[in-house]
Amino acid sequence: MASADGVFSPSGKLVQIEHALAAVSQGTTSLGIKASNGIVIATEKKSPSILVDDSMLEKVAIVCPNIGIVYSGMGPDFRVLLTRARKSAQAYWKRYGEYPPTRVLTQEIATVMQQATQSGGVRPYGVSLLVAGWDIHRGPTLYQVDPSGSYWAWKASAIGKNMVNAKTFLEKRYNDDISLEDAIHTALLTLKEGFEGQMTEKTIELGVITVPTPAEIEEGRTGAATGRPKPTFRKLTEEEVRDYLAL
Amino acid sequence: MSIMEYNGGSVIAMVGKDCVAIASDLRLGNQALGISSNFQKIFPVTDRIYLGLPGLATDVTTLREVFRFRVNMYTIKEEREIEPETFAHLVSSTLYERRFGPYFIEPVMAGLSKVATGGFKPFIAATDLIGCLNFAKDFVVAGTASSKLYGAAEGLWEPDLEPEQLFETISQTMLNAVDRDAYSGWGVVVHVIEKDKITTRTLKGRMD
Amino acid sequence: METSFAITGKDYIIVAADTTAARSIVKMKTDDDKIKVVSPHLLMSYSGEPGDTIQFSEFVERNLRLFHIRNNYSLRPSAAASWIRRSLAQSLRSRKPYSVNLMLSGYDVTTDTPHLFWIDYLGTMTEVPFGAHGYGSYFALSLLDRYHNPEATLEEGIETLKRCIDEVAKRLIVSPGKYIVKVVDKDGTRVIEI
Repeated sequence: MASADGVFSPSGKLVQIEHALAAVSQGTTSLGIKASNGIVIATEKKSPSILVDDSMLEKVAIVCPNIGIVYSGMGPDFRVLLTRARKSAQAYWKRYGEYPPTRVLTQEIATVMQQATQSGGVRPYGVSLLVAGWDIHRGPTLYQVDPSGSYWAWKASAIGKNMVNAKTFLEKRYNDDISLEDAIHTALLTLKEGFEGQMTEKTIELGVITVPTPAEIEEGRTGAATGRPKPTFRKLTEEEVRDYLAL
Repeated sequence: MSIMEYNGGSVIAMVGKDCVAIASDLRLGNQALGISSNFQKIFPVTDRIYLGLPGLATDVTTLREVFRFRVNMYTIKEEREIEPETFAHLVSSTLYERRFGPYFIEPVMAGLSKVATGGFKPFIAATDLIGCLNFAKDFVVAGTASSKLYGAAEGLWEPDLEPEQLFETISQTMLNAVDRDAYSGWGVVVHVIEKDKITTRTLKGRMD
Repeated sequence: METSFAITGKDYIIVAADTTAARSIVKMKTDDDKIKVVSPHLLMSYSGEPGDTIQFSEFVERNLRLFHIRNNYSLRPSAAASWIRRSLAQSLRSRKPYSVNLMLSGYDVTTDTPHLFWIDYLGTMTEVPFGAHGYGSYFALSLLDRYHNPEATLEEGIETLKRCIDEVAKRLIVSPGKYIVKVVDKDGTRVIEI
């Protein structure tokens, strides 16, 4: 190896991070779009063989009732980060009696990823993440986190294979007052560009943030019926995905 | 001798119409011997939250420092001020961290919380020394005069008091309750919190 | 029994502590100095468990000195008091807490004001116009309620202190015989004879 992890190359680059980004760009495409009344995150799901039971594959995941994430890159690395994110969200709930705002959770994940670029004996995480969430303070927000640990808020973004093309596509399609329904269709259209094989409910995963009404927020605060706030993030079922694809 | 009564002191919080009030006595004692007549037990947390810490005086200071630290860290991390409900949970979990070696304090808090539709809603809460939360709609009491405060408040409090009336009600409740408690008294401090104003008044009671 | 007083005046604080070091019913020493000069404008009078008092007061003294060496200035009275209080509060919840009561008397040279902090072994701290520890406090505090004047001159302050000492001598069965008296003001600290 030309340089050890966490050591600068003479040109001022951290090669390991660049390699991690290369691993991400080999992963399947994922994208997220913020709409006026919600957010959609979407990804392509590719199984290595038709013999794999793809109902077990999960790329869009729930972190806590108000936050969901999707990744491009290495599946096992994602699972570790997901577990950490979920634990962090529960720890926050234990201390403050509510789930973390999107930004705080994103920062938490970004810190974990940054630490892997500086600690001895570890390699950076081979994933980029899209974090979609809703909180009372900032409303719906969409973040991207990279292996370096840097993160940005986006109106729409794409990661993984074809991300450059997908982003160009999104730039053309995006406007600020797009509705969630329109955003879901744009998401599917974007994925369609450069999609290999058939787009079906088995090869697509979707997750959405729905912005709650003031009445729902008030109910969530008091925890009215169930004692739990109504989730603002949910994954779409295969039936729902099929219906969107049919349109 | 109970450790909760070693230094003496009491706190009460009350809900009014679009306002809340919190009051405490100013005594610090060593059992029956008075040491100080200017021992503050109520501290501002944000512009809209006040926290009262009656109980063992060493823990009053320690917990004030702990909450100042934790709220400052929260404000920096979240880039916003903590809401009363969230702060109440922070108080509760901080006390429960010491479940088997507690701080001898029964916190009382009062504040105005933001509502989703804009505007503010009165909020009061209290916990026991290990953080069991009590969200009351009318008033909460704690400290060596708590039993007397219940009696006085039960008789004087009514719903929808305006800030000035609430001030009178909480002041009379406090003044009369601490007169029946040997470990509380030596002056009273009252804070009335409104959406754009906080009024703090120090009262002399029977200074004996 | 161990007794100490401190009285603030207009621009000074007078501190007095008895000089007996007792063990059981025996007086071991009658010229024990229980008021330490912990920094140029800071006096700490202490009492309590014999071993702890020495250990803790020297711990405080050395740490305040270390702060001075590192930063080239001394902690202000309120900052020093907070640090000492925290040390005691942390010690309280340890396996073997320090059993030391103290009063910290300081002259804040940045604001030209005297400050007196009453601190006990639990870490209870409060700023007071006058304070006392030990059995003498039961007599002195009520007397000082009547006679203390925050605007008094040093001479008047010493007169008030003498009243306290005389009252304790008159009413306390096991009253101490001798006191050391120190003053802290803008010029620093000094011992005075009464």
